[in-house]
Amino acid sequence: MAANAAARRSMVWQIVLLALIMLVCVFPFYWMVTTSLKTQIVALESPPVWLFEPTLNNYREALFEDGVLRTLINSLIIAICTTALALCLGVPAAFALARFEFRGKKDLWFWFITNRMVSPIVLALPFFLIARNLGMLDMHITLVLIYLTFNLPIVIWICTDQFRSIPYDLDEAARLEGASQLTILAKICLPLAMPGVAVSAIFSFIFSWNELMFGLILTRTAAKTAPAMAVSFMEGYNLPYGKIMATSTLIVIPVLIFALLASKQLVRGLTMGAVK
Amino acid sequence: MKMRKLLASTVLATSLALGAVTTASAWSLEEAAKPYAGTTVDVVFLLRPGYEAIEAMLPEFEAATGIKINIIKHPYENALGEQVRDFVAGGDLDIALIDLVWIGNFAENEWIEPMDKFTSNPDLADPDLDMDDFFPLVLNAFGGWNDVVYGLPFDNYSGLLFYNKCLLEEAGFDGPPATWEELKDTYGPALTKDGKYAYALQSKRNETQSADSFARVIWPFGGSFLDADFKSNLMSAESQAGLKFRQDLMQYMPDGIVAYDHAETVNAFSQGDVAMITEWSAFYSTVVSPDTSKVADCVAIAPEPSGPAGRKPALGGFSLAVASQADEDEQAAAYLFIQWATSKANAGEYLERGGVPARQSAYTDPALAETYKFIPALVESWQDGVPEFRPRFAEWPEITEIVQEWGTKIMLGEVTTEEGAQELGSRMEAVLDEAGYYSGEKPLAQ
Amino acid sequence: MRGKVSRKTIFGFLGPSVIALALIGIAPLLYALWTSLHFFNLTKLKKVKFVGFENYTSVLTDEVFWQAMGRTFFLLGVSLPLQLGLGLGIALILHKPGLTLLKTLARLSLVLPMATTYAVVGLLGQVMFNQKFGVINQFLSPFGGGNINWIGDSTNAFAMIVFWDVWQWTPFVALVLLAGLTTVPGEIEEAARLETKRWWTVLRYVQLPFLMPGLVAVLILRTADTLKLFDMVFTLTRGGPGSSTEFISLMIQRVGFRGFDQGLASAQAIILLIITIILAQIYIRVFYREV
Repeated sequence: MAANAAARRSMVWQIVLLALIMLVCVFPFYWMVTTSLKTQIVALESPPVWLFEPTLNNYREALFEDGVLRTLINSLIIAICTTALALCLGVPAAFALARFEFRGKKDLWFWFITNRMVSPIVLALPFFLIARNLGMLDMHITLVLIYLTFNLPIVIWICTDQFRSIPYDLDEAARLEGASQLTILAKICLPLAMPGVAVSAIFSFIFSWNELMFGLILTRTAAKTAPAMAVSFMEGYNLPYGKIMATSTLIVIPVLIFALLASKQLVRGLTMGAVK
Repeated sequence: MKMRKLLASTVLATSLALGAVTTASAWSLEEAAKPYAGTTVDVVFLLRPGYEAIEAMLPEFEAATGIKINIIKHPYENALGEQVRDFVAGGDLDIALIDLVWIGNFAENEWIEPMDKFTSNPDLADPDLDMDDFFPLVLNAFGGWNDVVYGLPFDNYSGLLFYNKCLLEEAGFDGPPATWEELKDTYGPALTKDGKYAYALQSKRNETQSADSFARVIWPFGGSFLDADFKSNLMSAESQAGLKFRQDLMQYMPDGIVAYDHAETVNAFSQGDVAMITEWSAFYSTVVSPDTSKVADCVAIAPEPSGPAGRKPALGGFSLAVASQADEDEQAAAYLFIQWATSKANAGEYLERGGVPARQSAYTDPALAETYKFIPALVESWQDGVPEFRPRFAEWPEITEIVQEWGTKIMLGEVTTEEGAQELGSRMEAVLDEAGYYSGEKPLAQ
Repeated sequence: MRGKVSRKTIFGFLGPSVIALALIGIAPLLYALWTSLHFFNLTKLKKVKFVGFENYTSVLTDEVFWQAMGRTFFLLGVSLPLQLGLGLGIALILHKPGLTLLKTLARLSLVLPMATTYAVVGLLGQVMFNQKFGVINQFLSPFGGGNINWIGDSTNAFAMIVFWDVWQWTPFVALVLLAGLTTVPGEIEEAARLETKRWWTVLRYVQLPFLMPGLVAVLILRTADTLKLFDMVFTLTRGGPGSSTEFISLMIQRVGFRGFDQGLASAQAIILLIITIILAQIYIRVFYREV
């Protein structure tokens, strides 16, 4: 009996704690969305109000008058292109790191990974000057390329791990028949490695979509990204909170969907394969 | 020295205006713009009332000229960086939006064209341009550098004292403080109670700290950033008195004043939480509109208080100049836009829509002062002022960063006014030394 | 022998990646190295000149730089233990059997903070932590904290940054540790639980070894990410009030793109890079023997 009561108590505690965890995780999003539906006057009520007449005005203004729509499209183009490019370059490299033996492999791997650690500001300074000299400022391709500095390591790290988990025996027969490594990769290993490749693609997309600093420094109008746009509403004269939150909501929704889709693999992706 | 500069620019402006009058006959914007129809002009605008006013008037200009104005909006905080990056990269901007403290920088880099290039061209110059009509102080400070006029004053500010006359009357005052000491010693204690504060001084660590907070307290007390040799003057008794005054005054300001930008300060005033603020004229419409202000009926306006060294109101504002990187057609089109936006003819409508023109003729009608209560104080503030309220030389962008950092540290009490001023001064001198002011390489102009 | 392939094949597979990363990752660094040895101000491009190590000596002797660096590591020192403690707690709860549906939902909601655009986190912070109309103060007002000045007070602003860092990354730690807990073989865990009722003993002697790889990954990535921290702070406090939340990446951005002194900023960036590489070397070589 006593044990039963203790178990029940523990159960109640668990439910309370789990509810608290969920509340803390989700509440900011609730607040973001509701604020985005407030007029400026309602948004500035003190203390804040929870019930009010919602308006979609902030979305309409942000999307169509202030050009947030175009920046969302820019972000989308850039994230997709850089992800595709990172996969084209990174998958073969990952395959080589997983399967081939050669000198300097460890150092090469280490170098790939170090790129993930480097603060973007270290690259932003010279990249700006180089892009300026090449006349490549405010172009999509510039961001597509610079985003490779963090996407390529992610793709390589996750995919290397994935290829390593594929047993050699599977392609032994093909190798004995004289198939090239490229054929083995394309025909046998890649289909098996698809889950890992997909995860790395999702990560590459999320990281590119979320990036702010390069977007802020390397673009101006034509290639301006959505996060850079959200920041540009912050004028010291008047902060349109509703509009800022509407823009934020538009930015965040796609990545949240992607993240939920990949939720099972998220941890593996974020730790670059260190945790299965 | 100041007088001479003023005089020089006035003479220059007069001769330009006269030149235009004698050569042009039957000039019209439509005719002048004909060769440039279809040209697109790129310009950076801020998210502020003066810009919205012109934007609303823009269709008229575009219809008359066929010139397309492409506005790229940025918050003030990003506007300098955006423009510098565009100019060093040879980008698309055809007009430079110049805060008065950027003009030395833009002019020295030759990113902007002297106005003379266009005002002397009878095909472009409006005979009614009348450069004399601009407040000389404003034209000189916002648009001029080393006696050359580069830009025409567009979005113009003077610091004003906004006060809540209801709160002041309640506390037994029948008028605003005339001096800073009075504000602190008499009004401060009387108005700071029940969760309300006598005064708020926007001091956020950005240009607001340098322009609205730091400079505002050193000048009225006789201080300045630099002495005659361009060495730091911040350790002088006068500058120190100003900085110490600010520390002392903070007891009558809301907590966390170092995080207050204009929006927070104006909001605190509009909510009735703060009795007095010293803010830019541009906020007039915000504080008197019932939509944004709970105290609209109580708002009254006076010139800023004076200090031992007299009244030294904050001076700030923007001019528009033609960018050198634009091609000939774009330059001409850009000039036509600037001339139109700052013209005498449009000043009235600009004022009505929430802008603040720098045209003396716009303020002559005494009836206007009834509608726009800020006008008398503004006109008074623009009669005389310190153009180098913040030095306008090319080094300002670096120096303002230093002022912002150490200015806020002083306010937070992390360093004393002496320690902060010492550190600020030596860092400032290092920048000026690097620039070549001490070796005689560069003339001492600010 | 497995894995022996011709040089040509190796180059064919790895070459494109190596070249791409060299071009976009190393070439800019070399350029930054060049810039850091010059007086190089964006608004004074006519005056660019070689100054040797002058930029480096001024960075190394500038207390403001080291304060920013110290502040960055202080943030790591404050928020990482919080993330580890809370994350471990959450992982242990989620690891308990029962309440499957609720736990699945909790796991899904943990995913959200991690994926949120960092810049948006800062904007959200501005709205939620505002002194007057922020919802956080509304929550706190029954406990007498209804008028806390979060953004305008040095200590509070720092606490606010810690809050958001913890909010965003505790779920990450929790999920990493949860993944580690599930690798503990069921028999071993059950056997241990039969022997002792103290969860601490089970954790320390049975589960901890299985958590090690995850903990190491967390340590490496959180260190790197704190050195990179920019977006959230930029949109929330911009380093203020004063310098109280000016972390190293913000400081370099300010010097390079607001003061326009690219030479000095490059020197700061190179020094940051050296520190990062040393840390990464230590971490990866010591803990992370993967290949």
